[in-house]
Amino acid sequence: MASVTISNVRKNYGAVPVIHGVDIDIHHGEFVVLVGPSGCGKSTLLRMIAGLENISDGTIAIDDKVVNHLEPKDRDIAMVFQNYALYPQMTVAQNMSFALELAKVDKATIRQKVDAAAAILGLEPLLDRKPAQLSGGQRQRVAMGRAIVRNPKVFLFDEPLSNLDAKLRVAMRAEIKSLHQRLGTTIVYVTHDQIEAMTMADRIVVLNAGRVEQIGTPLELYDRPVNRFVAGFIGSPAMNFVAGTLQAGQAGLKVASGAVIPIGPYPAEFAGRQVEFGIRPEHIQVADGNGLEARVEVVEPTGSETHVVIDMAGEKLVALIRHRISITAGDAMSVVFEEGQGHLFDADSGQRLTHTSATAAM
Amino acid sequence: MAERAILSNTRVQAALLLGPALVVYVVFAVFPMLDVIWLSFFKWNGLDPVKAYVGTANYVDVFTKDPVFWVAFRNTVIWTALSVAIPPMIGLALALGLNQPIFGRNSLRAIYYLPVIIASIAVATMWRWMYDPFFGLFGQILTSLGLQAWVPDWLGNRDIALYSAFGAYVWQSVGFSMVLFLAGLQGVNKSLVEAARIDGAGRWAVFRYVTLPALRTTLTIVLVLAIISSLKAFDIVYGLTGGGPAQSTQMLALWAFTQSMQIFDFGRGSAISVVLLAVTLAVVIPYMRWSQKREETAE
Repeated sequence: MASVTISNVRKNYGAVPVIHGVDIDIHHGEFVVLVGPSGCGKSTLLRMIAGLENISDGTIAIDDKVVNHLEPKDRDIAMVFQNYALYPQMTVAQNMSFALELAKVDKATIRQKVDAAAAILGLEPLLDRKPAQLSGGQRQRVAMGRAIVRNPKVFLFDEPLSNLDAKLRVAMRAEIKSLHQRLGTTIVYVTHDQIEAMTMADRIVVLNAGRVEQIGTPLELYDRPVNRFVAGFIGSPAMNFVAGTLQAGQAGLKVASGAVIPIGPYPAEFAGRQVEFGIRPEHIQVADGNGLEARVEVVEPTGSETHVVIDMAGEKLVALIRHRISITAGDAMSVVFEEGQGHLFDADSGQRLTHTSATAAM
Repeated sequence: MAERAILSNTRVQAALLLGPALVVYVVFAVFPMLDVIWLSFFKWNGLDPVKAYVGTANYVDVFTKDPVFWVAFRNTVIWTALSVAIPPMIGLALALGLNQPIFGRNSLRAIYYLPVIIASIAVATMWRWMYDPFFGLFGQILTSLGLQAWVPDWLGNRDIALYSAFGAYVWQSVGFSMVLFLAGLQGVNKSLVEAARIDGAGRWAVFRYVTLPALRTTLTIVLVLAIISSLKAFDIVYGLTGGGPAQSTQMLALWAFTQSMQIFDFGRGSAISVVLLAVTLAVVIPYMRWSQKREETAE
């Protein structure tokens, strides 16, 4: 177990800055997920922690010891790669024991550690196989086994589930999480998949274009995103956004079509501001006829829930209905925004304005 | 319409594309090979309308009455052993160096590859000049260092002539294995190298456990090609020494040529060629089988 302290870290490729001064404090035993779209710098940041990329400026410390100039092997970390990076000519057991052999650990200890890791991951029957004879999920497990036997201070995961099919990904997600609970080792995990981030992390770091957008627990990010980017990135189906001008007297939001959509109370001084109103799909509910007028455009039943694309005053919104509903495209529908669940973001800066208490009452 | 239908047949397309090459191959490779085997059982001076069938007499003569054959055989074995070991090793070292992000590496790659595209006979001419004991490059260098007493007669001394000739061959052939190794190095998985570095591997361990296993296929190809080209070594030796002095650089391919084209004993020349063919197959076939098997078990 160890802490990882990232202080004002920057990375430039030549004259091109890709990480613009990132600060993250990762605590002992914490499971932190770095998440963001492609090219946001999350993998670069992880590789800087690993020592595979130089740090242009700032410091990275593991257990308060600055590691900027340490070789990867001297940082006491283990890494699981997206493509598993197993040595093809070695058996599973040899792959897992390779680091220990290089460190000249005695044979009996190696054997014992490999067996222990194999038992945790259910790899015992595969120890004599070569990587080419394993399935994707098994290779992933071997890659984790290779990390476990070293008993490092920090585990680094670089999109480890991206090459697996959807079903296996869900299973491995749970496996990695229970592994963390069992070993208690600090984990830094990179993914572009916000569901992975939400389900696994103690805390999530949302990165965008080389900057930290927000750091917080999954539910903090979900409930109080600090800006338009985080709001749109976290959550599936994604949050709905409606751009418009806030009207005086709490009247609501004047949208492009000229209509005013009532969004519930907001501070009077916001009147006249250009904003984006955000509402999550599950916070749009069916009303009993006295709600907001909308027209159904597309109905997508998934069994447990139904996604309904609606048109409200020319704005397209997705509603997520958790009970069975019989509607078809073209139907008129009356909906409500759940109270206290709306979000307001400044139209220019994208920063959060306030947590409005939106209500359906017309 | 019917013509179109025939041409769109993939078998017909394959035959059309392969046909010309196949004709050339049969006329210039398969037929001469069979003809040589046929000729090796006859006594013929290349001009007589009649070839006299002599059975295996040519082979018996070659093995029992021809001391030069055994010198050529020994030289060919030495040449092959050296060319399996030395040029690939230098080629690999060059490839590893030129695979690093160093200044001017593309130009350096071209420079190291250049000798490969020069005709062997031209290489031989260049090196014959460089080996000249009085006016040659190496002699001049040693003389300027005050070592004129140490200047050997590179190509005239029967103890070292073979190795001098081999030096020229190394210069000419390293570029080829270098290019193959460079291509192989492109295929080395970068995250494997990174995983090994995290696992605690230094430069040597990364080379030993990641780079070298990834180069296995390339290595097989380089070694097989080195064996084949050295067994048939001819032009560079012919150009440098012509087999001399006193047959000390005689090679099997060169001796077969000399027997047929200069001594006009086509039967004996053919017998030597057949022996060379048998040796080549005896070395190459088991090696190909072995490496194929190794690849299969690795999968």
